[in-house]
Amino acid sequence: MPETVEDAGSRSAEEPIHPPVSRRSLLPVSSMVHSRREGRKPCSSSNLSWPPEPAHAPRRTHTICMVSDFFYPNMGGVESHIYQLSQCLIARGHKVIIVTHAYGDRKGIRYLTNGLKVYYLPLKVMYNQSTATTLLHSLPLLRYIFVREQISVVHSHSSFSAMAHDALFHAKTMGLHTVFTDHSLFGFADVSSVLTNKLLTVSLCDTNHIICVSYTSKENTVLRAALDPKIVSVIPNAVDPTDFTPDLQKEKSNKITIVVVSRLVYRKGVDLLGGIIPEMCQKYPELHFLIGGEGPKRIILEEVRERYQLHDRVRLLGALEHHQVRNVLVEGEIFLNTSLTEAFCMAIVEAASCGLQVVTTKVGGIPEVLPDNFILLCEPSVKSLCIGLEKAIDKLRRGTLPSPETIHNTVKTFYTWRNVAKRTEQVYDRVAKETVLPISERLERLVNHCGVVTGSIFALFVVISFLFLVFLRWTTPDYLIDIAVDASGSKAAWTQEYCSKKKTKNFLIK
Amino acid sequence: MEEKEYSDIYGNTITLQQQSYSDTCQDFTITSSKVSIRSLTTWTCVVWIIAYVLFVCTQQTAVLTVAILFSIVGLLLYLHLVKVDHESLLILGSLGIQRTSTYASGRENTVFIEMCRVQDVVINEGISMHRVNYYLCLLLKDPSDPQAGVSQVIPVFQSCQPRLDCLVEVYRSCQEVLAHRNKVAS
Amino acid sequence: MAIKIFFPTSCSAAESGLLIGRWMEEHRSAVILATLQFPFIPASVKRHLSQLEQVTGMSLSVLGTWSHSKAEADEKMENFLGELSSIFKHQPWLRMARETTSKFWDCRIESLEDGASEDVVLVYYDQRKVMLSELHSASEHSEIAAMFNTVAKNQLLFANDKYDEGPVRLTHWQSEGMEASIIVELGKQASVPMCAVLSFFVSAITSICSLRVLSGKPLSFLWNKLSTFEQLGNRLENLRIISSAEKAQDHVTFMSSLLAGYIRLMSPFIEVILWYIGLSACLGLSVALSILSDIIALLTFHIYCFYVYGASASNTGVNMTLHVMYFFLLQLFLGTLLFTILLFLLPTTALYYLVFTLLRLVMIVVQGVIQMTIDLLSTLPFYALLLRLCRSYRLAAGVKFQMLEQKSGKPLRLLMQINPLPYGQVLQTYRLPSRRCYPKDSWGSLCKKLFIGEVIYPWKQKDKQH
Repeated sequence: MPETVEDAGSRSAEEPIHPPVSRRSLLPVSSMVHSRREGRKPCSSSNLSWPPEPAHAPRRTHTICMVSDFFYPNMGGVESHIYQLSQCLIARGHKVIIVTHAYGDRKGIRYLTNGLKVYYLPLKVMYNQSTATTLLHSLPLLRYIFVREQISVVHSHSSFSAMAHDALFHAKTMGLHTVFTDHSLFGFADVSSVLTNKLLTVSLCDTNHIICVSYTSKENTVLRAALDPKIVSVIPNAVDPTDFTPDLQKEKSNKITIVVVSRLVYRKGVDLLGGIIPEMCQKYPELHFLIGGEGPKRIILEEVRERYQLHDRVRLLGALEHHQVRNVLVEGEIFLNTSLTEAFCMAIVEAASCGLQVVTTKVGGIPEVLPDNFILLCEPSVKSLCIGLEKAIDKLRRGTLPSPETIHNTVKTFYTWRNVAKRTEQVYDRVAKETVLPISERLERLVNHCGVVTGSIFALFVVISFLFLVFLRWTTPDYLIDIAVDASGSKAAWTQEYCSKKKTKNFLIK
Repeated sequence: MEEKEYSDIYGNTITLQQQSYSDTCQDFTITSSKVSIRSLTTWTCVVWIIAYVLFVCTQQTAVLTVAILFSIVGLLLYLHLVKVDHESLLILGSLGIQRTSTYASGRENTVFIEMCRVQDVVINEGISMHRVNYYLCLLLKDPSDPQAGVSQVIPVFQSCQPRLDCLVEVYRSCQEVLAHRNKVAS
Repeated sequence: MAIKIFFPTSCSAAESGLLIGRWMEEHRSAVILATLQFPFIPASVKRHLSQLEQVTGMSLSVLGTWSHSKAEADEKMENFLGELSSIFKHQPWLRMARETTSKFWDCRIESLEDGASEDVVLVYYDQRKVMLSELHSASEHSEIAAMFNTVAKNQLLFANDKYDEGPVRLTHWQSEGMEASIIVELGKQASVPMCAVLSFFVSAITSICSLRVLSGKPLSFLWNKLSTFEQLGNRLENLRIISSAEKAQDHVTFMSSLLAGYIRLMSPFIEVILWYIGLSACLGLSVALSILSDIIALLTFHIYCFYVYGASASNTGVNMTLHVMYFFLLQLFLGTLLFTILLFLLPTTALYYLVFTLLRLVMIVVQGVIQMTIDLLSTLPFYALLLRLCRSYRLAAGVKFQMLEQKSGKPLRLLMQINPLPYGQVLQTYRLPSRRCYPKDSWGSLCKKLFIGEVIYPWKQKDKQH
């Protein structure tokens, strides 16, 4: 199987999605000036309600700007990652803002739970929710935001997001610390990958720190962008275990259901699935398939269903909302993942958290995700997957599988957002101690690191953008930019009340 | 009458005049900077030099006539339609809020909003062009359906564009008047 | 909350007396409509007010007293006015006093329920303008709307004034300027319609003159042409050119000769048509334009036919569903052959389609312009626009207040003026309903339609399909 372009940060049905508790409120800044409004409703996400850190020696707090093209209302892994991470960082006392592009009529500035401020910038969307980039046009606006929010660390997400790279570029020009999180795996062979890898090399060669979601992803990124592995950290994604719980009231029946929840696209291995379904259905008459998700490859499954007359045994559910995923998962006993490439498969963690036996292909970062007793790894071929499924069915019949509750209780300790935030904070601490490269060294690094031709071209861009920045500083000096009223962080205007309330409440419970 | 100097978001000086007639009646006037002779001269020179170059190329006197007409009409239109001399916000606690912008030519544009439609006065922030600005705005509600929330947002001081410190000043006084109104009403 | 008193400017010079108006409890404001002069009999005043109430259905009452002292305050007068509150009972009871020398008035409010003293805001208004103007976009809860309504409904109150013989002597807007010449007012009123009528006549005469010139010539021309046999010969010649397709060198020249022949064939008819259109203009410009539009559509029917033919030929009926089919080799071969033929025919079809689409687009644009003119003529609210131009207070968007000079210890003084409706909103509000529907296609989708070869329709066809 060719290793192809993969996006773990894609907007699909099987990715963990935590809809933000967003009131579509027009929350005025002046409410912070006066602090008239009382505490906001607490965040619904359960993993935010852990007891706060004991007040030890004052930790260094950062003002962090998360930049990505992908954020709510768009749905997907990157989106929920940014949201959950930001919420946890806010709870740890940092100031966090998010910058993304406008989605429909959602533009301007919004506040989400706990004073998470989101800038929806009116930039032109070019392709697949990614903005167009010229490396220059977004500088005035981003510079204005960085200055008015007094940002110290710029954290970009997803290599598919042009805005994230733009922000990295501008932040480096402005002398801010930069962190980049890569959510995806890439190939090396085809033309588009070669180009993207080159761009990634340029973008990451002078970035302070890079975060990957799995060791496979780290390996991939280090190779692609020709990086020093020392500045690459691995922080896996987390899953909200309270959203994915096993169904304890489930009745025992003779029927065996295999669940597949995935976008129906090539790289999720739908062609493999099309081969597995008739073979397994012939062998086991009590076997049923439940397939959630939508995509261009749906036609293959429909054809298979048509040809082998499996209408009553193969159910295609179409696109699923995030809150439906759990209810679909608990209907089955076995979860099948046929991905051809995956950086960090959230879907199998969710399925395991729901107490399902997971059968999956052994690609990308998948083997590192779960321990061997919860997962059956197979080669990405129809034959190997069928063997794996047979093994799982056999185990299920003999009753040697661990019970859903034990699986759930073990898995829920593995990946928590709290842990992710703690580790990310360490990265920020480390980055804050480093010095940002001055422009001369940056130019040198570009030319030495990225090849003479590419390096020179981008060095030229760096110079132009530096001159542009000087021009902007001349037309709108920094002192003319109003400093924003903080909604989160140490100087937060309107969450302090709420936070103190929350703390006392938690101590009372203790 | 109090008069204070502030700066707008471009760094030009603006003056805020605050006149308090009574507890419930306040008038704020923000006067923006005057048209500077330098920019006026620059623009006129630019237009005329272009016209002269065209004249030298084409040898048509009509070009010069057009340039003169263009600069005069342009200046008049600018003064009449674009250049705002001062903007004022008059808060009558028992009647309503009136927003007036006076253009350099003397044209006035007035909007009066009755108190029953006013929900609140707030400072908000918005993105315009490559800036993120604070602005003062009136939140209106539908008086027949008070539970429905904000039905309309009316920004004020949109031409003078004062900075946050000035807005906070106006905002505080507005809130005092509104609080007074609410206290009496309840 | 302060008490607001709306006071008509026309009454500010009135002699001392009573204040007549309406008290609006929900807004805590008093609208003074008129002042009542001495002497009066309390009973007849009450009767007069109740009669008015029956007609207008709006409660009117004596709200308080008004004293206008020429010199310094008169003790006796003060006392007398104070006693009046026991005759006309009203809560609250207003005591307004003015000295001729001072701009600032005294306002006192007595017999409030809770006995607390209240701030007073004095709002002056122009009674005539407020009475005549119509307030737009005001809700039922609005205080200003209630105030406008009160003034407008009590027109009957203004029917008699202090110069009339009667039991009550009132001062209000009618009494203002009564001394001045009525003729000036009449002249002012009449000047606008007179000008309009005059200009209408002038324009009518010029249009009739021009009509004669226009219609006279083609008529004689037509007689000239039809009377000759030569004409018939020409027709036959043109027909021959059209029908002899094989003589044409190639496709395009055939096309152009076809068109030229068509125009030559039609030329005399065009003159007749123009004449009739001119004749129909006496029914109004929109009738003439409609007929013109229809005739253009009729005359270019062939273009439409060719276009639809071309469009449906190039539109291959793309269906988005995917089917997997299995063919024999022979079938595949045949398909390839047919496809090749179609491929070679493509330039021809494309040219054909291009020419007729362009012609069709030109026709649509012409018809669209005519349609838009008709629409504009039939929906433009001339009267409202004229009203806005000449009597700007008649159409009010709202009100605006002007702060007058203040003095501490005296009530706040405001002048209420009418904010005229902007022209854009006049058009929006008074535009007659139009049955036209505009094309919903954007430019992009239009281009796409043209490219795929979907038949484009002008305006009206669209909603018939739905």
